[in-house]
Amino acid sequence: MKKIFRRTFLNVMGAAGAAGALAACGGSSSGSGAAAGGASAAAGGDVTIRITWWGGQSRHEYTQQLLDKYTELNPSVHFQATPSGWDGYFEKLATDTATGGMADIVQMDYMYISTYAKNGSLADLSSYSSDGTLDTSTIDEALLGSGTIDGKLVGIPLASTLLAFIYNPSVLEEAGVEPPRNGWTWDDFKSICLTVKETTGKYGFGGSAFIDTNLLNYWVRQYGVPLFAADNKSLGFDDQQILTDYFQLWKDLIDAGAAPNPDEYEQIATLGNEASPVITGDAAFHQSWDNFANIGANAGNDTLELLVPPVKEAGQAALWYKPGMFFSVAETSEIKEECARFIDWFVNSDEANDIIMGERGTPASSSARDYLVGSGKLRGKQAEMFNFATEAADYCGETPAPDPTGISEINTYFKDIAYSVFYGQATPAEAAAQFYEQANSVLAANN
Amino acid sequence: MFTAKAAAAPRHKRRGGSDLRTGYLLLAPWLFGFVFMYLVPAVMSIYYSFTNYNLLSAPDWVGLDNYIQIFTQDQNFRQAMSVTFRYVFIMVPLRLAFALFVATLLNKKHMGMAFYRVLYYIPSIVGGSIAVSVVWKQIFGNKGVLMSLLEVFGIEQKFSLLGNPDTALFVIILMGVWQFGSCMLVFLSGLKQIPQSLYESASMDGASRFTQFWKITMPMLTPTIFFNLIQQIINGFRVFTESYVITDGGPMNSTLTYVLYLYRSAFANFHMGYSCALAWILVAIIGLATLLLFKSQRAWVHYEG
Repeated sequence: MKKIFRRTFLNVMGAAGAAGALAACGGSSSGSGAAAGGASAAAGGDVTIRITWWGGQSRHEYTQQLLDKYTELNPSVHFQATPSGWDGYFEKLATDTATGGMADIVQMDYMYISTYAKNGSLADLSSYSSDGTLDTSTIDEALLGSGTIDGKLVGIPLASTLLAFIYNPSVLEEAGVEPPRNGWTWDDFKSICLTVKETTGKYGFGGSAFIDTNLLNYWVRQYGVPLFAADNKSLGFDDQQILTDYFQLWKDLIDAGAAPNPDEYEQIATLGNEASPVITGDAAFHQSWDNFANIGANAGNDTLELLVPPVKEAGQAALWYKPGMFFSVAETSEIKEECARFIDWFVNSDEANDIIMGERGTPASSSARDYLVGSGKLRGKQAEMFNFATEAADYCGETPAPDPTGISEINTYFKDIAYSVFYGQATPAEAAAQFYEQANSVLAANN
Repeated sequence: MFTAKAAAAPRHKRRGGSDLRTGYLLLAPWLFGFVFMYLVPAVMSIYYSFTNYNLLSAPDWVGLDNYIQIFTQDQNFRQAMSVTFRYVFIMVPLRLAFALFVATLLNKKHMGMAFYRVLYYIPSIVGGSIAVSVVWKQIFGNKGVLMSLLEVFGIEQKFSLLGNPDTALFVIILMGVWQFGSCMLVFLSGLKQIPQSLYESASMDGASRFTQFWKITMPMLTPTIFFNLIQQIINGFRVFTESYVITDGGPMNSTLTYVLYLYRSAFANFHMGYSCALAWILVAIIGLATLLLFKSQRAWVHYEG
């Protein structure tokens, strides 16, 4: 009995260990991480830049190539790369930052940049920009402004992206539907989806409109109101009917089998982007970012076409250029200048863009854009993405502020509440009221 | 400090001193790990549980706010509690029963019995891993193996077990039961300790196998059952990987286990203080459950023999 007790005690303590493990991640958050900052300047003047990014396999491969190329051109600069998928990237970054071990260069997302900037984790790069180490004159002002927080240049935008709908021409043809054109409406979208389902049995829409709140953001902006209030303490609109209509649209499609139900969607999602129904020819439409046709081409289907998302009424400019991603430099880094130099090369140089080929989105730097278009090296789908970005200008309004703190909780609620509609446990109106309340309480608590 | 202690026993000064030193020296790596990787963080997490802490800025003392919010406002907490208690109360008895059943079958002298013991233990070794969870997802998911098999027999399913909020938890439970191996091994050793003479004299008195099982095996095995029960309940409360990988808590939080919720609130939403509070509530629950079980021993566990 004694023996049993001892083991049990250890086990109970094991549970306490779970609590301990959380705390262990805490550590000292008060930035004294210079020691752990990791950049080691060795005797010969060699530096090692620690760099981390998220992405898929192809991005990992060409980015590594890129780093090797840079080392070839600058033999004293070495890299320690930590590529990662999107899942878990920001979890790891937060723990690294808290322990003072943030990589020198981190790929940063619009969603998180203000959080990191506000607690002083990101270096101000303005001085490198003004002394020419890092040439930012090539970057569109509005885009560069999105990386400037409280007057500090904390993120260099690498690319801009746009919400886009993607269609598979052969599926539409099979259904006997004329491909839609930019300026198409949500009613067009819905009726085509239903037709595709009826005539071919395939999905009209093969994705999910509930992975995050980006498409909802676009939807809400069509009513002339922002998704989030300017102070981020609440949603930016009062009319819950806006939400109800959104839930209703997708419920109708799912009920008709013209879009995957949550169960089917989870299974689709497991297989990854490259196996999306629109790529495999099992769906007519998909919604993603404007680099998706590129992804499709890499996955073996180079027939996909891009469309501006459907509009509610003609003449709206609810879309926006989203800074695709940034490179930020850690405040704790001891080799900020080397980092700035590398970022300059990454953003502006021909050698780098020869390798990147717009995979991270339409390059933010005009010189990179001009070079890529002028060089004639872009393959079909890559060139189309560049054209798309230009064509979409008529549909673009002001870029909204970065997503508020608490966005991941809101996204979770959004998905769960939407699923309750699709499982028939709530009506669209009930779900709208529920989401409205939950989102507001999360926003109030976090901002 | 060690030398001072040794000096207090002058008679064994030399031997005792060096023995002690060697002892502590050998113990040092473990002690170091225990104190710095375990005890200190655990104590710190108590402090964090009273703060608002997002990992990036300094913790901000909020007193009991986290606990108050958890108990009065947090619907996810209630959902996670309900899921976890259902999981524990269904999974543990099933796992114990299944483990005992298999252990009884394997408690015989046959050729190749060792092979079977290994075979049945394997799920326990691989069971909680990511890879197996992915396999389960493919078996029970939409268009998965199970649904395809049912279709072959003409039963067309509109939903998958994992995709349905009413059934998803049972897949997770089934996976828990499937990992019965370590439980089974403990039962097996318990069975081997029951004196054969008891069964011999019982058979002579004409007791059936069934009666023997209930009158001899079960009572003699109660300490082992007790041990397994406590182990499994503690492990059950800590279930994480299965629901994280297979369903990510879904659909609609129907498999949101407590530790998954704790993890999510810490590493997806960065409410570190809040999740430390959640963690300590779990510690309290597990502690209480264990205490109650120990109290209950008197009523049903037999230590004679």
